[in-house]
Amino acid sequence: MSSKLKFRLALVLCCVMMMSIFAGCGGEKSDVDDQSIQASGEVIKLGFLGALTGSVANYGIPGKKGMEMAIEEINANGGILRHQVEGVYDDNKGDNSEISAIARKYITRDKVVAMVGDPCTGLTQVAGKIAQENEVVILSAGATSPGVVEIGDYVFRNTLLDKFAAPAVVDWMINDKGWTDFAVITCMDLGYSTGLTPVFEEAIEANGGNIVLEDSINQGETDFTAQVTKLKNAGADVLVFTGYYTEAALIMNEVQKQNFDMVLVGGDGLYGPDLAALGQSAVEEKVIFYCGFSSDQPSDETAAFLEAYRAKYNEEPDMFSAQYYDAVYILKKVMEDANSVDPKVFKNELAKLTDYPGVSGNTTIGPDREPIKSPVCLITIKDGQFAILEKIPVNVE
Amino acid sequence: MFIEQLVNGLTLGSTYALIALGYTMVYGIIQLINFAHGEIYMFGAFAGLLLVSVFGLNIFVALIGAMVFCMFLGMLIERIAYRPIRGKSSRLSALISAIGVSIFLSTLMALIRGTNTTRYPEIMKIHTYHLGSLDLSSLQIIILVVSALLMVGLQLLIQKTRIGKAMRACSQDLEAASLMGINANRVISYTFAIGSALAAAGGVMVGVYYNAVWPYMGTMAGLKAFAAAVLGGIGSIPGAMIGGLTLGVLEILGVAYLSSSYKDAIAFGILILVLILRPQGIMGKKITKKV
Amino acid sequence: MNIMDALLSQYIDAYYLHIMVLIGINIILALGLNITTGVTGQLSMGHAGFMSIGAYTAAILSIHMGLPFWGSLLGGATAAAGFGFLLGLPTLRLEGDYLAMITIGFAEIIRVFFLNFEPGGKALGLSGIPEHTTFSVVWMIAIVVIVLNVKLLHSRIGRSFYAIRENEIAAEAAGINTTRLKVLSFMVGAFLAGLGGGLYAHYMTYIAPQDFGFMKSIEFLNMVVLGGMGSIPGTILGTVVLTLAPEMLRIVAEYRLLFYGAMLVILMIFRPNGLLGDVRWYDIKKRWFSKEVKTWES
Repeated sequence: MSSKLKFRLALVLCCVMMMSIFAGCGGEKSDVDDQSIQASGEVIKLGFLGALTGSVANYGIPGKKGMEMAIEEINANGGILRHQVEGVYDDNKGDNSEISAIARKYITRDKVVAMVGDPCTGLTQVAGKIAQENEVVILSAGATSPGVVEIGDYVFRNTLLDKFAAPAVVDWMINDKGWTDFAVITCMDLGYSTGLTPVFEEAIEANGGNIVLEDSINQGETDFTAQVTKLKNAGADVLVFTGYYTEAALIMNEVQKQNFDMVLVGGDGLYGPDLAALGQSAVEEKVIFYCGFSSDQPSDETAAFLEAYRAKYNEEPDMFSAQYYDAVYILKKVMEDANSVDPKVFKNELAKLTDYPGVSGNTTIGPDREPIKSPVCLITIKDGQFAILEKIPVNVE
Repeated sequence: MFIEQLVNGLTLGSTYALIALGYTMVYGIIQLINFAHGEIYMFGAFAGLLLVSVFGLNIFVALIGAMVFCMFLGMLIERIAYRPIRGKSSRLSALISAIGVSIFLSTLMALIRGTNTTRYPEIMKIHTYHLGSLDLSSLQIIILVVSALLMVGLQLLIQKTRIGKAMRACSQDLEAASLMGINANRVISYTFAIGSALAAAGGVMVGVYYNAVWPYMGTMAGLKAFAAAVLGGIGSIPGAMIGGLTLGVLEILGVAYLSSSYKDAIAFGILILVLILRPQGIMGKKITKKV
Repeated sequence: MNIMDALLSQYIDAYYLHIMVLIGINIILALGLNITTGVTGQLSMGHAGFMSIGAYTAAILSIHMGLPFWGSLLGGATAAAGFGFLLGLPTLRLEGDYLAMITIGFAEIIRVFFLNFEPGGKALGLSGIPEHTTFSVVWMIAIVVIVLNVKLLHSRIGRSFYAIRENEIAAEAAGINTTRLKVLSFMVGAFLAGLGGGLYAHYMTYIAPQDFGFMKSIEFLNMVVLGGMGSIPGTILGTVVLTLAPEMLRIVAEYRLLFYGAMLVILMIFRPNGLLGDVRWYDIKKRWFSKEVKTWES
């Protein structure tokens, strides 16, 4: 009897010990209630959400570079409302529980006023919920699927929404180009792709096109021989691929190896310098995608961004670097408009953002707090460079 | 279309087989699932890339260079991460150590090269041969021929040479073999070297064939190759070859005629079925349990 | 319990609270794998597969059927245990690495299934799961699980599990129905994995197939082996170390996984049987509460 009691005592002791370890960790915490950053310090912090290692890191790393550049520029020009800005960059590996930990760490330990990211919709939802609960603004640069801004009034995104852009592109393919038979390839384990495919398919059906082949691949694979052999025998006029640039380039490489002609059309996930680097002659004038900005006929802002980015990193920016860069500047603008660095205040200005001339296109936050970017550029690759093919207006209803 | 897909499958399968051989050889001797093997394959692919693009070597010279590099890498890994544990603990500890090595190597390469996919330079003009309705590219022929040569070479090495004899002895009974005067440590080292070299050859050929390499390519390839080794009967060298080819063909035919979104599920589903019906794998020997 | 959570969130930083919740969930999951692999010796490398079944089932029961939290947790765990039964059946014929391959294949099939599963949101994942899992819920369940684990392993069944691991033929000769017990160990392991998965889903409020990949299964295996196979305190310690390590290593930024990998190798070299290999509650108890008076050994 007594030994049993002692055993239970030991159990309780163990638990208490474990808790005390953590309580010890938590000892240095400062007062959570003190949300007013203005009073407490000179520096305001922005949290970066994105993967720096792991298989989706090539979408997070350019984002981080864009964000770092924007923050450096802002600090060189006197900061936001005379506060210096500091970015906090933690790697979430593209993992659910990681981003959940990081968002909490940013809010409670680093005391960020806003978070920028994540490129993936699902991860943005996790972070968005935490941001909403703690009243910190989150501005996603890349989450395109529904269910993001619905979380609450602290959650925003700065990205070209597929539901506006894809139908315009399908209309262009069918009516301007005369393509009627479509093959659609989806990247099965990519949320962006499984969200975009139905948008394209609905638009194709609404415009009277036929889908002759539906197929799928996985991220990180290199063997697409079977899919491409099927494509070769399917008799499609054009291939719609809804994934990211790496796989697009590899598919086109295989198309070239199997010796037939095919044009690949896709979304802004194809905007990456690796598309041309990996595909080379296989993607030359064979890949068309829509995007909010183009490096070919840039606006003044875009031209300045491109030049600065090339000078700093010695590489071409991609869509993510442009959108993260923009996101930081949008936050700067709304903080200045609100004359406050308190998320409770400047979130209202963010909801009213109209026609902001960013490097990734003109952005307006609509009445449902969804971003509207227009016009949409159709981009292809000429001589290894992105070249604008056409600008098509977007019909927002 | 069927024959074309079959050739696609055989090409993919022969790369699986090359990686699976390393798994099976190591397993045959020390019963360790060397989870870092997929990463050795990845390092082989990158070593080949370096030799071709920076030093401008001929692809066959680069292939041999990458194989030699990975030989040493494999021996080094065995020396550092496995030998200290061997004999002291259960196989599972060695398995965890192997997982540690695998995470270490893939992160290391991601830090060196970035996580982007890198293009493999074109090494030759690709010809396409038309044989009736079948289109066969010169690359596919080269890959099939080189893998066949490597596998025949391995078979000769194991059946005809002294070290091969020592390996066979060790795989039957490590302890008895060392009592017979075989330096078991050295044999294990050589086994790692040969297995790693074959994985490197697989890596270079995959790079050449698909024009792409990236730091995390080893994980899934390693898993598939392990599946191939088990399918063929782990520990059996002809088994690994047959297992690799079967898995590659099954995977491609699954995409072609069933559903590409269930591709991996089909491959693994068939694997499970085969194992339930024939628990020792296709070529594996049935071992009676003894007390 | 709500009061306790409110109190805790007043005094403990949300970030640390989050880590502690994750530790609790991981302990439940790792103890499940400990029964299958650590105690009974059936190498399972598909634990995340069971976890995903529990997580998705519980989430769907909560969202679409409107079941209360406890109901959906139990539903998820039971569904996982059902699959544990199915996966346990091949152990009649297979063992060792062949069995490991089957478990890997099973987890991959489950992952691909959820990638194609329309009600689960495919690759986008399932969001909008009600948030029910809190610190006190997790730790209450974790403590119950730990106590029941100790009871189970000290029972006739638990001793038979150990016997199977040590020598299956001898165990059979001693009159143990090895077939039934091996299947049972899979079911118990899967049940706990499903339970942990359900808690995870109701904590994150969002789950996606990518969360339950092969590397996740490996993480749990690491926890069990690193802590010490078959030892409950060891598994708990392994879980705490491996859940904390990535957070602690955040300071080294992108070198984090490099250190993590090296750490696994080094720990295995210096503690080949795990941190607390074969240490049981009994040993700890004996050390702290011994009535024998002894001097130092000379």
